[in-house]
Amino acid sequence: MLEATNALGNAVLSTGGTLTDPNAAAALAVGLAALGAGYAERGIGSAAVGAMAEDEDLFVNGLILTVLPETIVILALVVVFIVG
Amino acid sequence: MSAVGSSNPEYVVARVRARRGSLYGDEEYRKLTRMGPAEIARFMEESSYGREINALGSRHGGVDLIEYALNRNLAQQFEGILEWSEGRLYDQIARYLRKFDAWNVKTVIRGVYTDADQSDVEVDLIRAGEFDDRLIRRLLEADSIDGVVEVLEDTIYGPPLREAYAEYEETDVLVPLENAVDRAFYERLLSGLGNDEPTRQYEAFLKAEVDFRNATNALRLARSGADIDPAAYFIEGGELFTRGSLARLARNLDELVEYIADSQYAEQLGPALRELEEADSLIAFEHATDAALLAYGDRLGTIHPVSVTPVISYILAKEREVENIRAIARGKEAGLSADEIESELVIT
Repeated sequence: MLEATNALGNAVLSTGGTLTDPNAAAALAVGLAALGAGYAERGIGSAAVGAMAEDEDLFVNGLILTVLPETIVILALVVVFIVG
Repeated sequence: MSAVGSSNPEYVVARVRARRGSLYGDEEYRKLTRMGPAEIARFMEESSYGREINALGSRHGGVDLIEYALNRNLAQQFEGILEWSEGRLYDQIARYLRKFDAWNVKTVIRGVYTDADQSDVEVDLIRAGEFDDRLIRRLLEADSIDGVVEVLEDTIYGPPLREAYAEYEETDVLVPLENAVDRAFYERLLSGLGNDEPTRQYEAFLKAEVDFRNATNALRLARSGADIDPAAYFIEGGELFTRGSLARLARNLDELVEYIADSQYAEQLGPALRELEEADSLIAFEHATDAALLAYGDRLGTIHPVSVTPVISYILAKEREVENIRAIARGKEAGLSADEIESELVIT
């Protein structure tokens, strides 16, 4: 996973030279943040499902914890407004 | 498994942790030691053992009911864990749980040897290992030891058992067969583990278990003074003993105690060793090894949250709980007082 992100970064840097278009950079920021959020949610999600299988009352807690990394994407969205 | 790796350990660990929370604590044990067998069964029915007690309640009663319910619950819990886990995690957990397979194989062989009734043998099995129901059914239906060996042909116990069978035929004692089963289990236990940090911790735990097993065996041999070759009971893989040193030390109790007192386990086992010297009782030593393993397991469970170690920590704690409840029930049946029973329990 992390290797893939690195490779992506390298590819972006080597093919386009420097990234000069601010809009494209902002889009990239949001995209990468979403990727990170997805990666974080994958582990939390499966743990939450495991906990719910044992005790159904944990549904609300599990749901909240699962979507918590989504805040990273919202923060990244701020970048779009600052740049754009 | 996806390209980013499986998230299966998270799932298993979360479930196992939830289960761990529902194990009995000090409070429950204190209550249990003041109950009779019937009340214990009732108490269990209202906790996580409810299903097993209800299923077996019509056929068995008293302490037998408690014992069978405990075995069945243990088997169900561990089988569940194996069912959920995949890939590497499965391999690591199955290594440890295969000890129930070894136990089952030995029970069946003993059952055949003593001509025990099939249903009597069946209730003593703990179906927590890797063997599926079909294999166990075939094992139970085998009517000679040769038949048992044949059923096990394709498992890891096949080749060593086949070898030991010749020796059994000559001498007509079960020891070579049982040793073959144990050795097959312990060989598999430690071979080819991975090399990341949690796995190394797991390996250290397994080695400690082998060491303690060797130490207990050696102490028993040394104390009984029987003329048995200690090397025949040696289990490979531990760090504390080699085959030679065990054979030498098992002849002299004082030297053996001193050797263990100087080892890396001195801290955990020290008090028990002193007691061993004073009271000449092995029970305290065996409890101390159990408690040390349990404490080690507890610590392991929190160092690497997403790995095999919390699962193993739960498996140990669960086994301990089952043994504790069994000790309470059997103690009550034998008419021991609450204090005496409490001294038999291993609680961390």
